[in-house]
Amino acid sequence: MTKPMKIRSLTGRAAAPMPNGLSARQYPLGLSLLLIAPLFLLLGFGFIYPVGRLLGQSFFAPELGLDNYRRLLETSLYLRVLIRTITVAFVVMSASLAIGYPVALAMARLRRDLSSLVMACVLLPLWTSALVRSYAWIVILQRRGLVNDVLSGLGLISEPLKLLYTEGAVILAMTHVLVPFMILPIYGALRAIPPDLVQAARNLGADRVNVFIRILLPLSLPGVFAGCLMTFILALGFYVTPALVGGPSSLLMATLIGQQTTETLDWGFAGALSTVLLLVTLLIVILFRKVLSHSRGISNVA
Amino acid sequence: MSITPDYVCKADSQAVSASRTSLTFATCLLAFSVAATQPSLAEEQIVIATTGGTWERQMREHFFDPFTKETGIKVVTVSGTGAENVARVKAMAATGKIEWDLYQAGEIQAASDLHRTLNEDMTTFCADYLADRDLLPDACNRSGVLFGYGTTLMVYNTDSFPKGGPANWQDFFDVERFPGPRALPNFNDPWRVMAAALLADGVEPKVLFPLDIDRALKKLDDLRPHVGLWWKTGDQSTQGFRTGEYVIGQIWQTRAAALKQEGQPLAWRQDQAFLVGDRWALIKNAPNRDNAIRFLRYFLSHPDAQAKVCEALTCAPARRSAATAMGEMARAMVPTSSDVFDRLIKPDAAWINANTQLLIERWNEWNQQ
Repeated sequence: MTKPMKIRSLTGRAAAPMPNGLSARQYPLGLSLLLIAPLFLLLGFGFIYPVGRLLGQSFFAPELGLDNYRRLLETSLYLRVLIRTITVAFVVMSASLAIGYPVALAMARLRRDLSSLVMACVLLPLWTSALVRSYAWIVILQRRGLVNDVLSGLGLISEPLKLLYTEGAVILAMTHVLVPFMILPIYGALRAIPPDLVQAARNLGADRVNVFIRILLPLSLPGVFAGCLMTFILALGFYVTPALVGGPSSLLMATLIGQQTTETLDWGFAGALSTVLLLVTLLIVILFRKVLSHSRGISNVA
Repeated sequence: MSITPDYVCKADSQAVSASRTSLTFATCLLAFSVAATQPSLAEEQIVIATTGGTWERQMREHFFDPFTKETGIKVVTVSGTGAENVARVKAMAATGKIEWDLYQAGEIQAASDLHRTLNEDMTTFCADYLADRDLLPDACNRSGVLFGYGTTLMVYNTDSFPKGGPANWQDFFDVERFPGPRALPNFNDPWRVMAAALLADGVEPKVLFPLDIDRALKKLDDLRPHVGLWWKTGDQSTQGFRTGEYVIGQIWQTRAAALKQEGQPLAWRQDQAFLVGDRWALIKNAPNRDNAIRFLRYFLSHPDAQAKVCEALTCAPARRSAATAMGEMARAMVPTSSDVFDRLIKPDAAWINANTQLLIERWNEWNQQ
């Protein structure tokens, strides 16, 4: 999403047709194919082929048929874990939005040097591995960790609280890992809004709240949708963090798939679990688009 | 690198005259550059998958490097977790491209049908060792060569129980007499936890297997609120002890020994500890099969090195003479004496393998309640 395009669509002026009949916004087909070829090759060899094989195994291993799927549906455990995974992903997405939007807004409105500082604070954790960040949460949340020490030091609790190995800890740690993925697209969308619009609205008598609700919020929605979609999908497949800060009771789909690939070595069933997770993810993305398609911003998301 | 340059340089370094020295220098340079450009395939080597860390360091010092020195066969290592390694061997077999020669499989895994389809039947190899009374019984069988035994046992914090700690699994489950948070493993291999629950519930060790899963989970229901740590990695179990996440736990002996060595107030009970061994497995169609066989023979014929490795890793070695060669301290930590060994719980590998899916499914379900 670039700035000039945005202005054009806002003013409703159509792109001038090129002499050869092509729109100025489109490259010739050959050039476009050439530009995307490396990505598609990488996707084909590195993703579609191996993942396709794994998913394919769900129909062929141990023998041809739908046995793996029957087992998945017959045991209530798997559907329960699937629903929990979606719920956790949704909560993490909402929490990231609640935390991320104000930060993005502040970053877009701050002086350049201050905003770079905030940007660095957002990006720095991204360069640390999720493993390290998960261990950091263990240090903070454990029985004699920072939180319990402070609370008991203030005399608020007599027995240490059980904070670690709970679903709350999983959601907290996952939100921490994923919040930059929410902030960055929202920040991008907010920066692309021409300051003139805000100026004009203020001149016409809108107060700050009105400017936010009528101008900034609607125009930043594409960033919000992109951020939500990204955090939601990443959260659906989280593996390391729930394994470390969640106890055995916070099973998520990725943990189940991991069990089947490395412990029981039943790759047919692992493939079935992955297929279901993939289909559910696709379904949710499609629903996401459908529900929000009346908003004009959504066309820029997926 | 081949061993040639080393040899050439050493032989010529005796030279005294200045011209000889410069010649030697040139020869060495040449030899090194030739060696460096040689494709690695031309060298004699074996590829061993390890679990990295201390295990690999100890093995490198006491086995891999001395083996290379004696035979000229280079030992290349690849590391991953035990379960990952098995998964990768399975993937290699599926694609028909075997890159490794040896890896270690847990004793239970090694008894499975899958293990036998992936790895060579070692019966012929073991025939040479049938008469060897110094080896532990069954140390060499069709599934592979025994590396050593370790245990999963009960540990407790002596500071929390100055009047004497819990003595057995019954006490482990008795939160009235021995209050405080517990630690139990949760690494997708739940039979140990269920077995401890059944022993605590009064099941005789002789009839422990097949496990009564319902009874075990019912017993665990009562303990669940008192479990402060469900550990997934060995590090979690040591860190949890240090920070008081638990005062009584079921953890690996290696980790318990490490905690004790760093001065933690820790004691353990070897009675009814769970015995688990590791086996060298030779992958079918291994690229350097002959070298791998040579390495296994080398491993079996060096009890002193076995003793050193097991001292460092607190394991019970495959050879009795190796156990005797271990230091007094180290020997006290591992279940080598026969009176201790007899009271250990030996898992029924065949039953566990036949019921892996059932065990993990029931375990997951119980955890979701």
